[in-house]
Amino acid sequence: MKKILIVEDDMAICEELVELLQNNGYEASAIRQFTNVREQLLLASADLILLDINIPGLNGEMLLKEFRKESQTPVIMVTSRASEVDEVLSMSLGADDYITKPYNPTILLLRIAAILKRTEYNGEVLTYRDLVINLPKGTLTKRTEGGNSLNGETELSLTKNEMLILQTLLNNRNRIVKRDELMTVLWDNDEFINDNALTVNISRLRAKLSDFGYPDAIETRKKQGYLLLEE
Amino acid sequence: MLLKKYLKDKLFVILFGTGIFIVLFMLLVAFKVPASLKTAFTLIFWFFLVVSIGFEYARRYRFYNELKNNLDGLDQKYLILEMLERPDFYEGQIMTDILYEIDKSMTEQVKKYSLNMEDFKEYIEMWIHEVKIPISSLVLMCHNHQDALDKKYISQIKRLDRYIDQVLYYVRAEHAEKDYRIKKTDLKKMVHNVVMNNKDDLLETGVNLKLGELAQTVVTDAKWLEFILNQIINNAVKYRREDVEPEIAVWTEKKDYLVLLHVRDNGIGIPQNDIGRIFEKSFTGENGRKHAKSTGMGLYIAKNLCRKLGHGIGAESVAGEFTDIWIGFEEEKD
Repeated sequence: MKKILIVEDDMAICEELVELLQNNGYEASAIRQFTNVREQLLLASADLILLDINIPGLNGEMLLKEFRKESQTPVIMVTSRASEVDEVLSMSLGADDYITKPYNPTILLLRIAAILKRTEYNGEVLTYRDLVINLPKGTLTKRTEGGNSLNGETELSLTKNEMLILQTLLNNRNRIVKRDELMTVLWDNDEFINDNALTVNISRLRAKLSDFGYPDAIETRKKQGYLLLEE
Repeated sequence: MLLKKYLKDKLFVILFGTGIFIVLFMLLVAFKVPASLKTAFTLIFWFFLVVSIGFEYARRYRFYNELKNNLDGLDQKYLILEMLERPDFYEGQIMTDILYEIDKSMTEQVKKYSLNMEDFKEYIEMWIHEVKIPISSLVLMCHNHQDALDKKYISQIKRLDRYIDQVLYYVRAEHAEKDYRIKKTDLKKMVHNVVMNNKDDLLETGVNLKLGELAQTVVTDAKWLEFILNQIINNAVKYRREDVEPEIAVWTEKKDYLVLLHVRDNGIGIPQNDIGRIFEKSFTGENGRKHAKSTGMGLYIAKNLCRKLGHGIGAESVAGEFTDIWIGFEEEKD
């Protein structure tokens, strides 16, 4: 489980952030005392740090600069000060991303996932039961008994939208994914589709999965979202 | 300084002089002095009167004329004292002394107000950053407890956030000197951010978004431009037509040495009478009265920010058909 450290002085935000991250499969912890923050950051050995710029008695930018001398742990700067000057400064000091409050929680999660993926390459091939999903090629392949022998019938190509939906469901196995989350992911990839189109895309994806013998792979939960069934 | 007016001003001196002349002349007549002496007296008297008035006039003429010419050439009239020579006649000296006093007191007063404004601006900026914190935690709470909370909460919080941003950018546009940074910026990314920011509204209202060809980069401040685009997109959503499928198209076009970014909707449009004034402060127009509530500040702030950034902004519209707002960027020079 990836460990994320939160540096945020507003307790309300802090608690909600911890909850958000834990709900999404991260191990989240927050700094409680704002003395010797640099040492705490170094000792925490987190996989990613969410760092608020404006913490009383603490200069987020200076802290980042000092921290970068000793560690390459990815840092996302979070701030309520929306100005280009601050953003450029933060990025030049070695921040990996810069997000202004109030942020869309789904977007925050996407950014975190993107950075963690960037820092630790975990292959571009995802699997679902005996299906292999090849992201760069955009294909769905059935793993046959003999290993990697393929014939034309066991490979199907997915559209970009279908791929994004499947990928999101796969990254959130065992959890209900809300329509809004799927929508955010699609829009974040410049696919500005509407509600009906999402429904259509999901039924197409279902049809393709049922071609491989998994007609009930995606379960609809009324008013909640979708769930990818493992067994 | 007109001679006629000056003489009118000196009418008393002239009349008094004439009176004295008449009295003295009658005395000369009474004492039966020779005619030549009378002539000499007359000439000498009038000579001195005219010369003294003329001399006084000349001194004043030189001073006031220079003052007036300088004043006409000045943009900031109150700076006139900087280029004023101290006059060599008494009244002028009194006047300049008084002007100095007035100017000093006014400068102090203006300075006091500008310091007050500066303080106020700083406070507003600080307040906005502060108020964003509870807003962020509300957004997170809504997300974490989605089962209990409706999506409507988020949309209201977003509305709140937009109004707050409007104040922030109003303050920045009126006062900013150091708040922005103009550099080569990825236009696609900015448009993307704005679209993502408005995702819920666009989906809710069923607006069809069409992204056309976009220029790679423009020279601007990303945060400011995103705010401007946000205002334009908000308006496009707000003033949509119910009888057609609403649509917003965004694309860039090269025109002469400009890159024009268009945001075109198929909404209710702007009446011909109003279109020239939509960027004016507090202008709401027919649409603001009839359709959605409007403060008339959004486009005003947008224009103000554009002016600071050196971009052009304009609108084209046919009532009942479409509105096309464009922002003009100077093309980058390699």
